[in-house]
Amino acid sequence: MKRKLLALGFAVIATLFMLYQNGVFAQQSGGAAPAAPAASEQPAPPPPPNEPPPIPPQAETTPPPPPPAVAAAPTIQIDKTALDNGGVITVTGTAPPGKPVFIEVWAEKTVRASRFDSEKDPETGKIPYLLYMTHDMPASYVIYVPQDQKEKLESIKKEGGKWSYSKALKDLGADVAYSAPSKVPIDRYQATLLGSVIGSRGDLLPAMDDKENKKRSMQLVKARFRSPGKVFAPTVEVKPDGTYTAKVTIAKGAAPGKYSIVAATDKNAKSPALSVENNVGFPMIYLHNAGTSINVIGPFLLTLAISIFGVLMGAGGGFILNPLLVSIWPLPHTIVAGTVMPTVLFSQGSGIYNYSKIKFINWKLGVTIGLAMVVGGFIGPKLTELITLSQYKFVFGWILLILAALMFWQTTPAYLEKNKKEQAILKEFKKRAEESAAKKGA
Amino acid sequence: MIVEFWGQEFKINVFVGCIGGFLIAVISSMFGFGGGPFMVPLMTVGLGLPMYLVVGSSLLAIFFNTVMGTLRHYQFGNFDPTFFLIMFPAAIIGGFIAPQIAKRVSPIVVKRVAVAGLVILAMNLLGFIS
Repeated sequence: MKRKLLALGFAVIATLFMLYQNGVFAQQSGGAAPAAPAASEQPAPPPPPNEPPPIPPQAETTPPPPPPAVAAAPTIQIDKTALDNGGVITVTGTAPPGKPVFIEVWAEKTVRASRFDSEKDPETGKIPYLLYMTHDMPASYVIYVPQDQKEKLESIKKEGGKWSYSKALKDLGADVAYSAPSKVPIDRYQATLLGSVIGSRGDLLPAMDDKENKKRSMQLVKARFRSPGKVFAPTVEVKPDGTYTAKVTIAKGAAPGKYSIVAATDKNAKSPALSVENNVGFPMIYLHNAGTSINVIGPFLLTLAISIFGVLMGAGGGFILNPLLVSIWPLPHTIVAGTVMPTVLFSQGSGIYNYSKIKFINWKLGVTIGLAMVVGGFIGPKLTELITLSQYKFVFGWILLILAALMFWQTTPAYLEKNKKEQAILKEFKKRAEESAAKKGA
Repeated sequence: MIVEFWGQEFKINVFVGCIGGFLIAVISSMFGFGGGPFMVPLMTVGLGLPMYLVVGSSLLAIFFNTVMGTLRHYQFGNFDPTFFLIMFPAAIIGGFIAPQIAKRVSPIVVKRVAVAGLVILAMNLLGFIS
C-alpha cells in the first residue's frame, strides 16, 4: 500500500513537472521569455552583414554596380508566420532570372552535436583523435534546393553512411546558402583513444579560425542530422522569369520556437531573414537534449507495455524498449541509452532493499563483482558516444540474438527440470529467511 | 574466493566473475539496459552458484553498474529529464500491473513468445527484414 502511494506520488510529481516544462504554467512562459531573445541574438547578426549594409557603401563608392547588386538579392515572402506543431509554409519571391534559388531554414532552438575524428589523415597518416563539439547546432537545419537537383540528391542518398555534407553542398550548389551553422562556436579537444574511452575529453585547443570553423561545422551537421534527406529538400520551383515558389515543411515533432528563412542565389545575394513561429502544445513535448518534440502518449504506452512484458519474461524492459525507441521516433541513441538506464534505478534499489531485509544478499560477492561492473559502467557510456546510430542498431541486433538464445535455453526441458529443483530450494530458503527476519523483528 | 551464504560455503573463481561482470557492465551501460539476464547465467553457470544465492547478489552487482552508468550518461548530457519523466511513471505502473498478470500466464509461454519477438526485432535491427 505504502509503495503504491509512493508510486502515485511520483507519477503526480512527474506529470506536474512535464506540464511545467511544457510552459503550461504562467511563470514558465514568463521565465522562458528572457531566454528567447537571448537565443535569437545568435541567428540575428548573420543576415545584416550579408544584405542591406554591404549594398549602400557600394552604392556610394561605385555607382554603376549597385543596380545589379540590388537586383541580385532575391525577394522573399511567406504565407504564414505561425504553425501549430509543424506544417507547410509556401515561400515565394523573385530572384534574377536564370539563377538557382536556395532557401535556408533553421531553428532557433539549439542542440548539441559532437564528432570524434579518428580517421587517418591521408597526408600525414596520423590519426588525429580530435573531439569537435558544439552546443549551438540548430535543432533543425534544411537547405531547400531547386527541383532540378532532385536526381543529384538521390544519388547522394545512395552513397549511404559515407556521404559527405560539404561535398553535397558543393554538388548541389547549395554552399552559397550555407551560413547559420558555420559560425557556431565549436570546441575542439585533443584526446587520445584510450583517454577518450576512460572519459577524459582531453585538452581544449584554441578556437579555430572562421574557415576551419565552417569546415568543421559541416561535419557536425552531418554528425547531427546523419542523412541527406534531413538537410536537403528539392522543392524550390524556379520559373524562367526569376520568380520562385517553394514549399518549406516544418516536420511534425520538430523543435518549437522561431524558424528563420532566407533565400539566396549567391553568397552575397541573400534576402532578409523572415521568421516563423512553430507552436508545440500538449501532448507534444519538446525534449531539450534530444532536440525533437514527441507525443507523450506514444512512449508512455510503449514503456508501460514493455515494462510489463519485461517483468513477465524476467528480463529488464530495456532490451526491447531501446531498439524500439530509436526505430520508431527520431531520438538519438545516446539519449535513449542515457535516459532508459536511470528508470530501472528505483526498481533495482527497492529490490535490493527487500532482499537485504531477509538477508538474501551476499554482500561480499555482490560488492566484489559490483566493483568490476563499476569500471565497466564507467567506460560503456563513453562508447555510446563514439558509435553511430546504425552501429548501435547493428550491435544491438546481435545482443538480442544472444539473449534470445539464452531465453530459448531456459525453456528447454533439461533446464526446466533443473530449474524446478532450484526454484523449490529458493522458495524454501526464502521462507526460512522471512521467518527468521520476522522473528528478529518481533 | 570463498562465499558464505546461510551456513553453506561456496568456492568461486573471482577472476571469471569480475571479468564477466566487467564485460556485461560495458555492454549494458553502453546500450542502456540492465544486465540481469546475462548476469544470472554468468553467476549460475560461470561461477556454479545456486539460484537462491544469485537472485539477490546479482541485483546488487548490477546496481553498481546502473548507478555508474547513469552518472556517466548524465555527465555526457545524454540524460533528458523530460523524456525520463515520461517513461519513469510508465515503468513504475508496469511494475505493479505485471505481477497481477504473471499469476495468469505460464512463464514458459511468455519466454517462448519473447524468444520469437527478440529474433524478429534482432533481424529487423540487423537489416534482414524491414
